[in-house]
Amino acid sequence: MAKTELNRKIDTETEVEDSTNLNGTLASVMILGAILIITWVGLYMLFLSR
Amino acid sequence: MHMHKFEKIWLIFGFGALLVFLTVIGVSAFYLGNQPPSCLATIDPEKVDTTAPFNEPGLKKVEGKEWDYELVFVASAFSYSPARVEVPLGAKVKVIATSKDVMHGFQAAGTNVNMMLEPGYISEVVTTFKNPGEFLIVCNEYCGVGHHMMHSMIEVVE
Repeated sequence: MAKTELNRKIDTETEVEDSTNLNGTLASVMILGAILIITWVGLYMLFLSR
Repeated sequence: MHMHKFEKIWLIFGFGALLVFLTVIGVSAFYLGNQPPSCLATIDPEKVDTTAPFNEPGLKKVEGKEWDYELVFVASAFSYSPARVEVPLGAKVKVIATSKDVMHGFQAAGTNVNMMLEPGYISEVVTTFKNPGEFLIVCNEYCGVGHHMMHSMIEVVE
């Protein structure tokens, strides 16, 4: 006969990443900022040289 | 309100960048006196040929001004007058241009000279030709069937 599973303990533990960890976000924001600054400085240099 | 330390960092970064760019614009406009090429100077587009300085297009030496030469261009469908002009190397030149008919562009490729010529308005830009060579002037505003043929040449000579 089939057993009921009423008393079986289900493993509910799943790995949840710490939601306050923003290292990746900081890195991507800073990379984007660096791209903007490099582009701006590059174009300004081009403007001065022509 | 709780704010993550990193969020503070990039907010400061963002506001700092905004502040720097606005300061650059402010200094350029109010301290250096930079203005757009077409800045309230008007002309009757039907009388361009008889109105100074457009009655004599070309390069002219001037005294007692911030620039050494004035370079006058008249644009019309589909050519520039003059079609070719020589400019001495290192000269500080004020380019003055207008259109006789429709809207034209005025871009000297490879230099910082790039402006729009509107009928009824005078466009001006001051530039120094630092590099010798030939600089093609092209129309970069679509002006009609001959648009792609419309060009002139500035030759910077030593």
